[in-house]
Amino acid sequence: MALSKEVYKEFEDVVGEENICNDPAIMPSYYSTELSAVILPKNTAEVQAIVKLCNKHRLQFRAECTGWTFMMPGMVSQDFIYLDLRRMNRIIEINEKNMYAVVEPYVVSAQLQAELFKRGLNFCIKGAGSNTSALLRGHGHLDQTTSGDDRNHLALEWVTPEGEIVRSGSLGSSDEWFCGDGPGPSLRCILNSVVPPGTTPGIFTKTATKLYHWPGPARYPIVGKSPKYALSEVPPNMMVRYFSFPSAEKMYQAERKIGESEISYVLMGFNASMVSSNITTSNEEDFAILEQFLKEVQGPGFLVIIAGNSREDFEYKKRVLQHIVSEADGKSLEKVEDPEIEGILLCQCTRISASIRETFRAGGIFTSIPIMGQRDLCLRWSVGAGKAKEPLIEKGLIVDDGAAFFGWGVEQGHLGKTEIFCRYDPLNPEAKKAVEEWFQEQTARAFNENYFAMLMGLQADEVGPALSNYHIWWKKFKEAIDPNGVSPEVGTLA
Amino acid sequence: MGLEQYKGDVAMCCRCSACKFIPMQMVQGFQYANVCPSIAKYNYHSYSGGGRLNIAAVMLENGFNYTDRLLDIVYNCQMCGACGVSCNYAMDMEVLEPINEFRIKCVEDGKTNPALDKVIAGLRKQGTMVPGAKGKRADWAAGLKLKDATKEKVDVFYHVGCLTSYNKDMWKLARATVKILQKAGVDFGIGYENETCCGGRAHQMGYKEDFLNQAEKNMDMLKKAGVKTLVTSCADGYQAFKVLYDKYNLKGDLEVFHITEYIDKLIKDGKIKLNKKVNLNVTYHDPCHLGRLGEPWIHWKGKKIPGEKFVFDPPKEYRRGTNGVYEPPRDILDGIPGIKLTEMVRIKEYAWCCGAGGGVNESNPEFALWTAKERIEEAESTGAEAIVTACPWCEKTFNEAIKESGSDLKVYDIVEIVEKAI
Repeated sequence: MALSKEVYKEFEDVVGEENICNDPAIMPSYYSTELSAVILPKNTAEVQAIVKLCNKHRLQFRAECTGWTFMMPGMVSQDFIYLDLRRMNRIIEINEKNMYAVVEPYVVSAQLQAELFKRGLNFCIKGAGSNTSALLRGHGHLDQTTSGDDRNHLALEWVTPEGEIVRSGSLGSSDEWFCGDGPGPSLRCILNSVVPPGTTPGIFTKTATKLYHWPGPARYPIVGKSPKYALSEVPPNMMVRYFSFPSAEKMYQAERKIGESEISYVLMGFNASMVSSNITTSNEEDFAILEQFLKEVQGPGFLVIIAGNSREDFEYKKRVLQHIVSEADGKSLEKVEDPEIEGILLCQCTRISASIRETFRAGGIFTSIPIMGQRDLCLRWSVGAGKAKEPLIEKGLIVDDGAAFFGWGVEQGHLGKTEIFCRYDPLNPEAKKAVEEWFQEQTARAFNENYFAMLMGLQADEVGPALSNYHIWWKKFKEAIDPNGVSPEVGTLA
Repeated sequence: MGLEQYKGDVAMCCRCSACKFIPMQMVQGFQYANVCPSIAKYNYHSYSGGGRLNIAAVMLENGFNYTDRLLDIVYNCQMCGACGVSCNYAMDMEVLEPINEFRIKCVEDGKTNPALDKVIAGLRKQGTMVPGAKGKRADWAAGLKLKDATKEKVDVFYHVGCLTSYNKDMWKLARATVKILQKAGVDFGIGYENETCCGGRAHQMGYKEDFLNQAEKNMDMLKKAGVKTLVTSCADGYQAFKVLYDKYNLKGDLEVFHITEYIDKLIKDGKIKLNKKVNLNVTYHDPCHLGRLGEPWIHWKGKKIPGEKFVFDPPKEYRRGTNGVYEPPRDILDGIPGIKLTEMVRIKEYAWCCGAGGGVNESNPEFALWTAKERIEEAESTGAEAIVTACPWCEKTFNEAIKESGSDLKVYDIVEIVEKAI
């Protein structure tokens, strides 16, 4: 819907002429040709003013950081005011003593992490990659050490759907960011979106995130040129291995014991396909290496990074790892023991710099079912979801990855992330339809067979009654904080 | 085929934003993470490499809707190719090629930029990309008694380039080059008034036909003169002769060297020695057209294999910036006594552009200057006294940025440093 000149002028007065645009030329890059306008606010005050104008004129808005998730089906709409938060790109504070960092939405994770490495610190980078915003909550390769999701956000600055500025936790009572729960308003269950639909209406303008110890170097000794960056040497007291197991049960046994013994810096449940994507520089090379790997691996597996704080610590962790893997009949993937490959994986899987290879490169697009839950239960479901991929692979509709799934424990515990995706050609409508059907069938199976419930998307009315009618409470909450219905329920934090 | 041939590539853009930044594991901190000047300055996603592909994808599907904003997006890009390097770290797809084809389509459709039209008018009239060029192309060589390579046989044809020939401030580069070649005993000559623009910049600007005219003129002249080896000290010229002429099957067996490659060879062959001390702390700027865009063209003809994977028959090898000219200039600098080289954050295949490319120097000088200032600031952060480059366009833009920002940094072309060292 086109904005009237008068309304457009009101927004323009907030951000200046250069920072608002409704020209059709820019819309395809925001995945819609009918957005009302794209606006580039510079600070919280401008975000607030824009949101208030949206309420005044009953215009829906959506904000994005780097925009990664906008490829996801169902995330794209029209007639929105789009807030591209690119100009809000400052690291506000790195507090080494209290181990937190405060960032604006367009600081990318690679920037924050590089600053943290210099200080012997690290933080949870989302598995999507270090090209995504450091402000986001989520899960990823580092979850064993850095936890994930709502566990990492401390105080937050949030512009509500009505345009109020809420400062949560300690920020609500002082100028400190160290705590998300107080002294001051907590609102944790709302702001961190543990409740469905997984995102909170409104716009987050600053967040404090927890920091963790980093035992690795301040900067990796990278050699070579893109696309093959390697390390001149694997830094001392660091090691990468990939182990495959005869069954998902055996794999989970080893995963759980590694968690209990707290020896791994990274435990990433890559499947063989993800390892081959990481270490190869083209699709052709990827598929050739995968063919070799599929002959070598026994079944599902995971990648482990050991990072010792001293030589003794490193030796101890290695010995424990060896014992656990051996007990579970694990088998090391030989290629990963090659120091060059080890270095590549070490850098990529701690800097989270090659996720795009794992996801988009092979086919162009992917559709994923990500679940947070009890690992053994989710694993049982994902074996079936993998089986259900096989007919699509046979028909050549999705990329053959051995019908694999992946996942990992969070905080060394039994809870964790399990995920499975299909990669396919975005220009093939038959593939798209088949993958959508697979998605619907497998999420329905998960609910009907009591594995888990997909809380995001359109299934809320179906699964709500089985889960304390959360959807009714959520709807009431949403109506209370967004009486004008201007902040849609998906994709606020992209 | 034009842009249409890249329909599959532009659809591959996953909007991950990698094209805006240097490759992720090379990010060393908050600063100097950006790699694309256009998105860094204009902020809308449309100005990024990925945004440009998103626009192309939709317009290939729904038709081309030219607006002033679209042309602003199209022409405010230095065509530096950094987006492609960052994308191609992970993805198998063409990035800069479709962006360039989009420009070519704009020009073919008459949607040009007036400032660039003026430059092209000068090219058609005077055979140079330097607007308002006065005097003769070889005035810089007055009194040097250099051989005319179009009249007598020489081992090496020294192609001087437009900016060095017509901008008096740059004559020192041609004279330094001559001194180096003479010192090494190279049998070389120049084209005098028969030299003409390489056409590379015209290609970047989207004027493909003008580029082809220039390329044909140059190759006719070189063939008639029996030239087998060409050396140039202009990065744009190097990329045109070596890469673009090859792309359009015009290069034949002409051997093309950038002066840095040639000096490096002369040093390794023992023809010149860098034995004079040059006490200077420097940093080195990789010109885009010598670095990532200077890697050889890869001829490939094939088809996507039908199915779920983005693979081709025969397999397609992508130009990812890996094989540009990065080491010869560094080896030269490392070999000069007294020179201390400190690298910037953004180097080699992911170097930040000087700002001059793609016609931006003419169409939006303010943007070119903004880009150069960012590079000067980065160079200063190394503690260097001087930024050394290997292209006259970079040197010119850096000097303008320094003048405006009041920086104390000195700018040298590498031939000036070598001249001092021999």
